[in-house]
Amino acid sequence: MAIVQVSNVTYKYPLTDVPVLKNISLQIEEGEFVAIVGPNGAGKSTLCYTLAGFVPHFFKGELTGLVEVAGMESSQTTLDEWVLNVGLAFQNPFNQISGAKYTVFEELAFGLENIGVPRDEMRARVNEAMELTGISDLANRSPYSLSGGQQQRVALASILVMQPKVLILDEPTSQMDPIGTREVFGVIRKMAEQGMTVVLVEHKVEWIAQFADRVIALKDGQILLDGTPSEVLTSPILEESGFGISRYTSVARKAQELGLWKKDRLPITLDEAVEGFSLALAPSSSPNRRGEQLP
Amino acid sequence: MLDSIKKDFGTRTLVLIPIAIAINIAIGQLVYVLKLPIYLDSIGTVLVGALAGPWAGALTGALSNLLWGILPVVTNTFAVPFFYVALVIGLMAGFFGRRGVFEKESPRWLSMLIGAVFFFTLSFFITAFLNLNTDETGFTTYPTPGELFSRYLVVFVIAILVGAAIGYFLLQKGGYAGLAGLATGVVAAIISAPTAAVVFGGVTGGGTDLLVAAFRASGGNIWSSVMAQGAVSDPFDKMLSYMVVWLILQSLPARFKAR
Amino acid sequence: MNNLSMYVARESGLHNLHPLTKSLLVLCLLTAGLALPGRWIGYIIFLAFILPLALWGKIFWELIRAVWKITWPLALSVLLIQSLFWGKGTPIFEFWGIAPKEEGILFAFISIGRIILTMSDFILFAMTTRPDTLMISLKQVGMPSGLAYIVVTTLQIIPSFQRKASTILDAQRSRGLETQGNILVRSRALVPLVLPLVLGSLMDVEERAIAIQARAFGAKREETSLIEIPDTNEQKIFRRILIILIPTIILFRVLWQLFK
Repeated sequence: MAIVQVSNVTYKYPLTDVPVLKNISLQIEEGEFVAIVGPNGAGKSTLCYTLAGFVPHFFKGELTGLVEVAGMESSQTTLDEWVLNVGLAFQNPFNQISGAKYTVFEELAFGLENIGVPRDEMRARVNEAMELTGISDLANRSPYSLSGGQQQRVALASILVMQPKVLILDEPTSQMDPIGTREVFGVIRKMAEQGMTVVLVEHKVEWIAQFADRVIALKDGQILLDGTPSEVLTSPILEESGFGISRYTSVARKAQELGLWKKDRLPITLDEAVEGFSLALAPSSSPNRRGEQLP
Repeated sequence: MLDSIKKDFGTRTLVLIPIAIAINIAIGQLVYVLKLPIYLDSIGTVLVGALAGPWAGALTGALSNLLWGILPVVTNTFAVPFFYVALVIGLMAGFFGRRGVFEKESPRWLSMLIGAVFFFTLSFFITAFLNLNTDETGFTTYPTPGELFSRYLVVFVIAILVGAAIGYFLLQKGGYAGLAGLATGVVAAIISAPTAAVVFGGVTGGGTDLLVAAFRASGGNIWSSVMAQGAVSDPFDKMLSYMVVWLILQSLPARFKAR
Repeated sequence: MNNLSMYVARESGLHNLHPLTKSLLVLCLLTAGLALPGRWIGYIIFLAFILPLALWGKIFWELIRAVWKITWPLALSVLLIQSLFWGKGTPIFEFWGIAPKEEGILFAFISIGRIILTMSDFILFAMTTRPDTLMISLKQVGMPSGLAYIVVTTLQIIPSFQRKASTILDAQRSRGLETQGNILVRSRALVPLVLPLVLGSLMDVEERAIAIQARAFGAKREETSLIEIPDTNEQKIFRRILIILIPTIILFRVLWQLFK
């Protein structure tokens, strides 16, 4: 039984005419790490909100079709119940800090206080979440004194502390600098490796290519592609649509057109690209010179 | 009424209120630093009233003044005793909001009329206060309208013209909002006068003090001076605040208004 | 602690008092200072109660400094305006047409007494009470948690808004906005400063609402608290006394006025 089951879902925000999600169907097994790519306006955030229960309960609007996550069904379950099983984090770390607490430790406990978790268990869970996200040394700092990357990890930790069954992440690194991005991706990867079901919306295709189990490509509210990273990310359909292509893939495609790419599969990661180009180039060339085209 | 209150306080409202209070303080400080004879510390309050209703507006106003007092930013601790004024402002903004004042556009001639009437009334009261005579026995004589008109006719005519012009250019199509703001300002002036006079002797440290001093110098006693200062600053200040909120609501995408 | 409130962290008896005890105490002193008859009551309460409490709270000099900082510009204005513009009164001297009146100076000092009382009372409270523990204790006696959220969050986000306002000010200035000069110039500067600040902030509201709901905030559930606030039976009794004392003082004043 899949942990996420979306069947023929169409959704329209209130006071609008055009549906943002059009007849979407997808299935996610427990423990899968699914990435979602697509251009702006494709409906990626709306899909995240749907999986997290905010569509339709927070946004109202018209939802048709079936949304089932972790044994809950969206027309039967309230948002208050839904958030106990599904965690949501998004781009702007500042907006995810509640503001109601003076230290990181207390901030993480905020959600647990709301649920009514006893004090000892709260402390244990908060410590655990801080370990997972590597922020134990920030426990007594004010959340507002942290860097973007640190704040985003605090936001993630404060969701993880609620022990969700599914984690939805909407472009968590878009506002991060490279260090912050690395920190956040580090946490996500760890969660995925520990068996958490993760849904990640991202533009940084190269990273997804390395770690995701599946990629779903979304455009204009519809699912374009749904498969393994190498299937989806090298697909010509993606190329036509103009998004989701990594540098390695596009360079290798060029090489392919010139007859220089010897493998039948295009690379999606740096390693694959290095491997492929090493074959393509003369044996005396160093494998570090990647992406070069012979005259 | 309890349902009416509950309706105001959904999660979005709870999140909006701290932001609105922060806006009140940030803008109020800006104005204080620019030393303008207005406050503009209620834009957040009016905004919450307009978007979330009277009870949320009232809470925003009251909390703004009370919290301003705890901040280490010392400039406005005097605002604390006036929390009830801010409360009423939020309340009124909410009731006006429910009547759609922030969404309707008014014809320009109405705005001109409002401006003209306001400035006329203002000059009427100012000249009346300036000509109050309190003799040694404590008996206060008020000048009659006839006396005022004959002495200050030119002033009144100018006031009407200036008022109409301001109505046209400043209020434009936000006449209803401007009028609501004026009304709120008048109420604010009236209910804040007692506290200003009693607790502070009419002095709050901002640009408005100059107005109070001016009125005192021309012979009014402390009550009438404070009221006169309030009569000038408050309605204009609230009218401006309502206008800003009106402008903001006009620029918001429809999705935000569906609350 | 951060500098978002006046709280000064110290180990003192006053700090360790339950927040509700402190609230009631402070309220009682304020009521006494403003309602009890007598022109100089403000100063009396300040000297007899507030300063000793500040000593107990080990914030004596911080209090004095803060009260001075807040009060002196106010006091100066009050003094000047009341003495010089008192209208009919007895001048104490005359110098080039400036004649400060005795009645005005007296009135000014009485007002200043009230100001000092109010400010110091408030500051005493703010310096010895953490806003979040105050909110927790209020929640325990039935205050809605929405209110607690609002108060603490407001205190924490105000600096970021001041920064935003300042950034917008700089950005507009670099685009040629004039902020100095006569009153018209300064007034025109307002709209391009105010509108971006407010519009930008409204966009955040939705995300922040989603974020706290994702942490189960707003649901009607039994809440627990990470922080424990110590309380004693003596304090509970003391609080009850204060609750009765405050309206008694007001009543006393009302009766005193009626039967003067």
